[in-house]
Amino acid sequence: MSTPALQIESLVAAYEPGLPIVRGASLSLATAEILAILGPNGAGKSTLVKAAAGLVPIVSGKVWLHGRDITQVPAHRRVFEGLAFVPQTENVFGNLSIGENLELAAAILKLPRAQALAPVYAMFPDLQRQRGLLASRLSGGQRQMLAVARALIANPRVLVLDEPSAGLSPKLVAEVLAQLRLVRDSGVSVLLVEQNVKAALAVADRAAVMVEGVERIVADVQSLRGDPRIAELYLGRHVVAQPTARAD
Amino acid sequence: MLQIVADGLIIGAIVSLGAIGLTLTFSVLRFSNFGHGEFLAWGAYFAFTALSFFGATAAGKAMPIAPFSFGLPLLAATAVAAGLTALLVLLLDAALFRRLRQQGAITLVIASFGAALALRNLLLFFYGGVPLYYSQDLQIALVLLPRSVSGGLRITPDQMFVLGLTLFTVVGVHLFLSRSTLGRAMRATSMNPQLARVAGIDPERVLRATWVVGGVLAAVAGVFAGLTVQLRPTLGLDLLLPLFAAVILGGIGSVWGAVLGGLIVGLAESAAVHIVGAEYRAAAAFVVLIAILLVRPTGLFAEKTG
Repeated sequence: MSTPALQIESLVAAYEPGLPIVRGASLSLATAEILAILGPNGAGKSTLVKAAAGLVPIVSGKVWLHGRDITQVPAHRRVFEGLAFVPQTENVFGNLSIGENLELAAAILKLPRAQALAPVYAMFPDLQRQRGLLASRLSGGQRQMLAVARALIANPRVLVLDEPSAGLSPKLVAEVLAQLRLVRDSGVSVLLVEQNVKAALAVADRAAVMVEGVERIVADVQSLRGDPRIAELYLGRHVVAQPTARAD
Repeated sequence: MLQIVADGLIIGAIVSLGAIGLTLTFSVLRFSNFGHGEFLAWGAYFAFTALSFFGATAAGKAMPIAPFSFGLPLLAATAVAAGLTALLVLLLDAALFRRLRQQGAITLVIASFGAALALRNLLLFFYGGVPLYYSQDLQIALVLLPRSVSGGLRITPDQMFVLGLTLFTVVGVHLFLSRSTLGRAMRATSMNPQLARVAGIDPERVLRATWVVGGVLAAVAGVFAGLTVQLRPTLGLDLLLPLFAAVILGGIGSVWGAVLGGLIVGLAESAAVHIVGAEYRAAAAFVVLIAILLVRPTGLFAEKTG
């Protein structure tokens, strides 16, 4: 088997020392595949991808990008290594136009503007048409497209997204996720956190279900569709077992 | 009437330059730096030292460039002061603010009060409390309009120089922030620090750039204050409230807001001197500040984030 695009090994990550949110998670993302991370609220999905992006301190464990250990690489250097991250909220510069957002991304990476923007505009023709529009005036779907486009300016090998469907209508969710398939088909590996299980299973190649900071199930999406364990993990056995009502 | 405006614009020019630095450090470092006024004072005194050094080495008294009260040495001294002030600010950051960065804004604000006290008293220690002047020559104001026209307009060449160089500096800062990659990176960091980081912007580099720009502008403003009024160790303290009034009036984080806010504060101070008397000058900035907070707490041009 070839070197994974992104490998996360026994990762422990914590915002506060002594309070780990991710507790020894391991994942492996192959080249040009979409891996969705699923799981109930508070399972540590977002923390895991933020740690991979360098935004949450890593207590122990390793992150490898195409065989290179990037665990100690600061967040702002990871994009130069080929890992691009799209945060869940506030993922575009609202008081810059679409064009300025993309130009800024290219300028920071010292890429020639026209060359860097052309492939992204080719993938998102809507953005090119509306490039003068302020990012804060975009609808949820367009904003998400811009956020993905901004990340793709870096020509990354791995694209990591934190809940790209958050706050979008079902139709837009399908559109954004379909765009991710195009990204994958261009050879980029995609790791995404998703609350929307159905949509995630529709777009991903494989999925990992996280519970309490650790991945519990990692499997092809075909085998996961209709798997009773997913519903069980989401609801949580101990939650189901709790008394239904309390006196107060 | 015109005289009030002219005087106000000169005070305003000084306040504007200081306020740009203050608003930039606020939006990038996310705390109100109450030590910023002292950067102006140190800039002014650095220039004084550089000037006396040039005077001593450049064979006697340097000739002023007519019609100004100062010569090329003051321009050179300003450049030296800008460099030294930037260095001082970076040293202060390394010694104090960097260590407290993780502790939150309140800790940094309190630390900045301490830094201001230390910096001000160091000035008093090194230079003494007696007011100093860049030049002992008295400057004759040019009569631009006689008294019969709107009360007349008199302005010294030095004051015109201050206005001109302020305009030049503000345009320079604007071009730096809007055109250069480092300037855009500074704006990006102030808008959304986390997104800026994942986009590849080194936060420490942006921080240093912000301190340097703030320090340079503070030094220039300090020299202007020394040139149009006098040098005294409380120069920074006296300007601190007008600086904050200008920043809040313009909208925290907005460079053009800081410039306009500075000019409005300057005009208000100048009007207060003419209308209610010089002793109320310092109160004008307070009145402006209270008025803004009542009417438009976000300021005139608050930069939107997100």
